[in-house]
Amino acid sequence: MSGGAQPLPGTGALAVATRRLRRHPAALAGLALLALVLLPVLAAPLLSLPDPALTDPARRMLPPLAIGHLLGTDHLGRDLLARLLWGARTSIAVGALATLTAAAVGSVLGLAAAWGGRRLDGLLMRGVDVLMAFPYLLLALAIVAALGPGLANAMLAIAVANVPFFARAVRGTVLDIRHCDYIAAARLAGHGEPRIVLREVLPNLAPTLLLLMTTTLGWMVLETAGLSFLGLGAQPPAADLGSMLGEGREFLTTYPLVAVLPGLLILLLVVSINLLGDGLRDVLDPRWSPRRSFSAPAPADARLQSQLEGGASLLAVQDLGVRFAGAAGPVPAVAGVSFRLNAGECVAVVGESGCGKTLTALSLLGLLPEGASQVGSVRLAGRELMALDGAALRDLRGRRIAYVPQEPLTALDPLFRVGVQMDETLRAHGAGPAYTAAELIRMVGLDGVPGLMRRYPHEFSGGQRQRVAIALALAHGPDLLIADEATTALDVTVQREILALLRRLCDEQARALLFVSHDLALVAELCERVLVMYAGRIVEDAPAAALLHRPAHPYSAALLGATPELGRPDKPLAVLAGEPPAPGERVDGCRFAPRCPRAQRECRAVEPALDALGEHRLVRCLFPIQEAS
Amino acid sequence: MSGYIAKRLLLLVPVLLGVSLVVFAVMSLVPGDPALAILGPYATPERLADLRATLHLDQPWPLRWLGWLGGLLHGDMGRSVSLERPVADAVFERLGPTLLLAGAALLLGALLGLAAGLVAALRHNRATDRLVTLAVLLGISLPPFWLGLLLILLFGVWLGWLPVSGMATAWLVGTDAAPAVMWLDVLRHLLLPSLSLALVAAGVIGRIGRGAALDVLAADHIRLCRARGLSERRILLVHVLKGVLARVMPVIGLQAGFVLGGAVYIETIFQWPGLGRLLVDAIAARDLLLVQGGVLVLATAYVMVNLAADLAQHALDRRTAAA
Ligand code: SF4
Repeated sequence: MSGGAQPLPGTGALAVATRRLRRHPAALAGLALLALVLLPVLAAPLLSLPDPALTDPARRMLPPLAIGHLLGTDHLGRDLLARLLWGARTSIAVGALATLTAAAVGSVLGLAAAWGGRRLDGLLMRGVDVLMAFPYLLLALAIVAALGPGLANAMLAIAVANVPFFARAVRGTVLDIRHCDYIAAARLAGHGEPRIVLREVLPNLAPTLLLLMTTTLGWMVLETAGLSFLGLGAQPPAADLGSMLGEGREFLTTYPLVAVLPGLLILLLVVSINLLGDGLRDVLDPRWSPRRSFSAPAPADARLQSQLEGGASLLAVQDLGVRFAGAAGPVPAVAGVSFRLNAGECVAVVGESGCGKTLTALSLLGLLPEGASQVGSVRLAGRELMALDGAALRDLRGRRIAYVPQEPLTALDPLFRVGVQMDETLRAHGAGPAYTAAELIRMVGLDGVPGLMRRYPHEFSGGQRQRVAIALALAHGPDLLIADEATTALDVTVQREILALLRRLCDEQARALLFVSHDLALVAELCERVLVMYAGRIVEDAPAAALLHRPAHPYSAALLGATPELGRPDKPLAVLAGEPPAPGERVDGCRFAPRCPRAQRECRAVEPALDALGEHRLVRCLFPIQEAS
Repeated sequence: MSGYIAKRLLLLVPVLLGVSLVVFAVMSLVPGDPALAILGPYATPERLADLRATLHLDQPWPLRWLGWLGGLLHGDMGRSVSLERPVADAVFERLGPTLLLAGAALLLGALLGLAAGLVAALRHNRATDRLVTLAVLLGISLPPFWLGLLLILLFGVWLGWLPVSGMATAWLVGTDAAPAVMWLDVLRHLLLPSLSLALVAAGVIGRIGRGAALDVLAADHIRLCRARGLSERRILLVHVLKGVLARVMPVIGLQAGFVLGGAVYIETIFQWPGLGRLLVDAIAARDLLLVQGGVLVLATAYVMVNLAADLAQHALDRRTAAA
């Protein structure tokens, strides 16, 4: 209800919107319902109905299907159907007129506020604020009280009460439009302000205005009916649905139909208008419909049994895949990921955003977003995680596997003090925590920060917040720490501090670290081994030093070329042309082939396997870069 | 926190001044001679002249407004012509029942709306979600006065379960029944009228609540809660609920405007002895000073509820202080 002030696509996009509207089930239902209600209402003069005002005391309160009266008659013997249809015409006309009036006046005020300079804007918006501090029903009531009852006055009152809403929304939209390129272009072309407003702003405002009007029309019809219901709108013998309802109220116990039917008609009208408005909003501005969401993780798919024997590895991932449910079947986002992690080992997962590295990390915790499912095998100390149910998985999270998020400002709950979040973390598992809060704070170097526990996350600096997040992750002394872009949001100095801290914490307790990052140079300092991911697959698995000096996969080389070298900011970066394939996009052969400088014909025939290259390295490439030096 | 409260209280002054100015301005829309409009065509010339003097109709409007404000500070809203008593007395006598009705409706609406929004979000894109979304749409589109009539028909006339008019049972008034009995009686009378308003408010709150819950459920910090190993119960009842409440609070404040305004219909239908019905009677009697006083008091109540909602939101989410 608050003024959504985003510019919507211009009129040029209306054709697209219409096409999308036709495929929107709710909007279609609204349209169909509206047509169903409107058709007889609009056709009322053509139907041979009795005069709606003709009273006939001898034939009062006839039940439906009486001869000559399809829905029966009311307390004065007037034909109910005729009155309903004619009353609905009045209600709709008054509601529409009020909407148009409010939209027109509100648009002028909103335009003036947005375009007329600071002082005018301030003045108009203060006025709008004050009017909005008023319950609009009450405002309309006061205006009718002053002007006197009557349909025209009721219409005026409702329009005035809704002007502030339009003014505010239009102002916001126009302010956004003002900042668009085409306005600047028009200015540069030397067009005058009136022309710009008329030719550039108004057409771009039109979709927003249409949407606002559709969503308001419903209330307007309701409010008109309300005022008439109180006897302040339509005056007898004229009638609208509201006044019919008001009159029928007197006979509620003896003949309920007279009151029930007009209300039902109002409801049908308003529901269909609102349905249409919702559809319009979805179509014109997808941002307004909250679609994306995550929910409790789906239970892991346990059907796939691992062929991997336990071994000494702390973590053994085999053929891990992540799929999103798509319209045309599942879309694979991660496929065939296999790697091992030994206790105390630091391994990095590196790749461009969208390569699946974060999904891989989240799937280890069983915390994939809604709509995603995982297959394959994840074993922690020999125990198959994919076979665990929600409760068993929860027991592992935070206790054996912990997670450090990318941006702790959003990852710590902003509404709770750090102390509360620390406390609940310490109590999360039946067995007591490995450390006390004081120990944890000392471990991450936050001792000496006054009032730490009583502060909210937003009251810390980025580096401090990240230390808090690390302290939370360490509470139960996990065997494996997953750091998801844990330093990306920090500046370089703080980044190094946090990296050093992570490294020290893992070394001291022989804790394994899986460090997800897009920054190859950074991880090379921290980790012993690097997994390079591209388009949902591991393309190279190599010791950090080897990868840094002699990348074998062309993609690793490209990634390295795109990383600024320490101390050499002047060296031009080799920018990789093209985009990685979208998940589910069909690519024949090697998925890197379209961007690969070394690609041969064979590359497009068959996807290469992740094969050993030398003793410590795995590469998914037919023509890996061999060491020349 | 206290600084924020002080700031908000200070901001109250211009808002209330603005509200009084709007009420004053609307009432000067009256066509023709206000004194004549107030007293009606049968007033004696002396009384007309008298009223013109009390209203200071000879002065320019800013002075008249200030004069009216000055009177308000002393609790003087003028004299009601139709009731033949001070407006302030009549208005404040009726304020309590309206606040009771609106408060109950808002509370009920918020609880229903929040529950609906949460359930829908938790069952996102499943049958339950669609059902709730449909119910919410119906709620938003319901004419509250029609809903009131339907409830009367169903529970009052056909089933005969609940009283449908007034605020207390006549035979109880004036008796020395125990307070608990009296309150139970008022509660029984309150149920249908507050439900008539609550279902509509619940529609709006439910719609916003569903969006808010989807946002919160998708937020990074909920994922981190899971990663920390917190139980689903705690995540839902503590983290998600507080997040949703903080986001929905302003909307609950806005819905106060709907229940306070909608009280006008519902009090008329249910013969509830509140300010809304007083307003309708006053409008019918062209008792403009009474209308002026009643509207001012209801609008002030709305401003106060919104302030309370803002403060509550701030208490829930301390980041809002800067805004
Ligand atoms: S297989 Fe071919 S296309 Fe793929 S990375 Fe190797 S050389 Fe490039």
